[in-house]
Amino acid sequence: MRLLAFAFRRLAGAAVLLVLLSAVVFAATTVLPGDAVSAVAGVDASAAQRAEVRAELGLDRPVTERYTDWAAGAVRGDLGRGFVGERSVTEVIATRLPNSLLLAALTLAVTAPLAVLLGLWTGLRGGVADRVVSTSAQILAAVPEFVIAALLVAVLAVWLEALPRVSVIPLGGTPLDVPHALVLPVLTLSAVGLAVATRLLRVSVADTAATPHCEAARLNGVRGVRLAVRHILPNAAGPAVQALTLTTGALVGSAVVVENVFDYPGIGRELQLAVAARDVPMVQGIATALIAVMLAVLLLGDLCTRLLGAGEGHRR
Amino acid sequence: MSRQIDRRAFLRRGAAAAAALAVGPGLLTACSTDEPGANPKSGSGSSARSGGTFRAAFVGGGASETLDFFNGPSALDLVRARAWHGTLGNLDPRGPDGVRYGVLKGIDISDDLSTYTLHVRPGVRFTDGSELTSADILHSLSALAAKSKLPVYRLAAANFDLARAKADGGLKVVLPTLRPIADGRMILCQGNFLVVKDGTRKFAQGMPSCGPFRLTEFTAGQGSAFERYDDHYGHVPLLDGLELRSIADSTARAGALTSGEIDFAHDLSPVTARTLADNAKVEPAPTKSPYLVGLSFQMNMSAKPFDDPRVREAFKLAVDRKTMVRTVFYGNAEVGNDLPSIGFPDYAQGVPQRAHDPERARELLKKARADGMKVTLTTGPETPGMVEMAALFVEDLKKVGVQASVRELPAGQLYADFPAYAALPLAASYQMPVPALSTYQMSTAGGSPSAFGWKDSETDALVAKARAERDPARAKELSTRAQRTRWTQGNQVLPVFKPNLNAQAKGVDGVRDDLFEQFPGFSRASLA
Repeated sequence: MRLLAFAFRRLAGAAVLLVLLSAVVFAATTVLPGDAVSAVAGVDASAAQRAEVRAELGLDRPVTERYTDWAAGAVRGDLGRGFVGERSVTEVIATRLPNSLLLAALTLAVTAPLAVLLGLWTGLRGGVADRVVSTSAQILAAVPEFVIAALLVAVLAVWLEALPRVSVIPLGGTPLDVPHALVLPVLTLSAVGLAVATRLLRVSVADTAATPHCEAARLNGVRGVRLAVRHILPNAAGPAVQALTLTTGALVGSAVVVENVFDYPGIGRELQLAVAARDVPMVQGIATALIAVMLAVLLLGDLCTRLLGAGEGHRR
Repeated sequence: MSRQIDRRAFLRRGAAAAAALAVGPGLLTACSTDEPGANPKSGSGSSARSGGTFRAAFVGGGASETLDFFNGPSALDLVRARAWHGTLGNLDPRGPDGVRYGVLKGIDISDDLSTYTLHVRPGVRFTDGSELTSADILHSLSALAAKSKLPVYRLAAANFDLARAKADGGLKVVLPTLRPIADGRMILCQGNFLVVKDGTRKFAQGMPSCGPFRLTEFTAGQGSAFERYDDHYGHVPLLDGLELRSIADSTARAGALTSGEIDFAHDLSPVTARTLADNAKVEPAPTKSPYLVGLSFQMNMSAKPFDDPRVREAFKLAVDRKTMVRTVFYGNAEVGNDLPSIGFPDYAQGVPQRAHDPERARELLKKARADGMKVTLTTGPETPGMVEMAALFVEDLKKVGVQASVRELPAGQLYADFPAYAALPLAASYQMPVPALSTYQMSTAGGSPSAFGWKDSETDALVAKARAERDPARAKELSTRAQRTRWTQGNQVLPVFKPNLNAQAKGVDGVRDDLFEQFPGFSRASLA
């Protein structure tokens, strides 16, 4: 019951945050230099034609009025139509978001177990292994996604010709029809995710290992896998979930870059196209959808942590 | 992806083969000879139905791709539409009136150039069995094209009074002009004025169409599939089907071509096109004049020192055009002469090619007291070669004593803030292939923002006069005079015309025969 109240409280907080952030996105899109007129009317339009198109797109109205109009529609579930090509924003999100979520799910499937193993190993062993892994993770975290992607492409797609350079999805199909085309984007995102998650998990494992409860277990002769499975993991689970939640957040940003590099038909690629065209309704809709996904992940992470935290109390 | 042969196509091809055995190949091609330019060439794949599904890849436009070509800004939106819908006509120097008519029989122009009469070709059928009439053309022009925000359709709205257009019976459309023009056929028959059924508001799969192919599948940002429309007016395509794919990356399009996944790759970057040179399975298929993109630099006459014609000429003389063609495009481009629209009937005649003369440029700058001037050239990767050309131009300028530097904006940004772009002192630009005079009237005359400070009422009047001249020789003379003024006094350095560097599988034929190569329609294409 207390958990339910907690969930409601967090949900209300997330809703308020979503509204605030959508306003921030709207403001940010508005202060970008330029507007959608060139993308819609062509670059050789006369001043009069440009003014006409601007009025048609409603860009001559005050920003606050445009935002409240958009928000009123969004509340009703109507995110409007994009300026370019006049496609329904909701429809674009519905077709592209699942592709991005697939990429994220596959990345987490690769990242989570690996990060847990590495986190346990480095957090418990310390010494040279810890320093090597931690330093590698630090370096990996500092390298931009597109550089990792370019290196992977150079080796796996160009030099070894083992994988396709971009993700070409068959007509009417889904990315799942071409699993080999998913390898490079997932590998790139996994490298980013691993760098973030390993470092966070290493800290929580080391902290847990230093608790009196684990010290006592060690003094009683519990070692290795048994110590990890019986004592460390259950107590580090809460922080681990939080670490993976934060990793997912980092992945959302990286996905935008990676989808563009591999021409993957996800929501990040659409966001980039929409920003380049200054297509305000499309940018607004996609950004809000991404923020909503992010807030949902954080909420889920918090609920899991709370549940695990409750369990932890019993075990202690 | 294996080549798709669906059951129906297989049966159709079997039937065609049987018919060919029974009556010889003559019957099969008979249907394709009643349209000018439809005579099959002797050559592989064009004398009998080649069948098969032709697969082509384009840049595409992501999830914003739309079936509504009147509002679809990406090249693929128009390519898809050209395969799907009938056209008023295409530019064709060998055709009557310089055009190859499509759903029209011809266009008459009144003596005072105030009225154009479009004569509908009888017997054109939509896929729902109904016959195309003047009402369909009228709806496409005055209800849809007139409301479009795209530059190409605005060209019609800028020249014809589309609100006052009317049907005269079932086979005639009367189109008043906004001012006397003699070159209206060139505007209406560029290949992009396509016809949909009267009353069409929504564009969706299954809507009636009268183009060479019938749309069977469409996923925005991924691709579309078509099957041949057997009742297509004039000629029936040789292919059974057509697939158009969106692949944004140039190297990926080339890769799909060399690995046999597609038969035609559209608009490759110069570097990518060059990597295909030694591949035995593919061949280059660059677009030919007039379907060339002009790559240029605009000097802003509202900013010093570009208000001085000597400085403008110095900049034009400084540019090493041949080196640009050789190093940026590996020879796959044409040298430009500082005037847009090369290859169009109204392009200037007899204007000498401007030389590369750094010495003279240096002198002129000295005379104008602009030697050692500082300038920043702003560019962005809006079309292949643009950024590389800017880098070379800056080096050329340094050689004549100009302290020039490049500012490269990220993709999609150069034109986004147009007022800021039009205020730049020196900016890169590109021009799509459109007739010379109508382009001038639309985007340069009357101090338009895209004219970069060029304001010359005499040239404006001369262009209007040339367009209102019925006698072709006299029109040519006036048009050349106007363009010569731009050549000597103008503020545009246009060193290179770049083709779309398309490539195709060996044995592919007939893509070019569809005309309007910038946006190939594939109605006459065939596979090996």
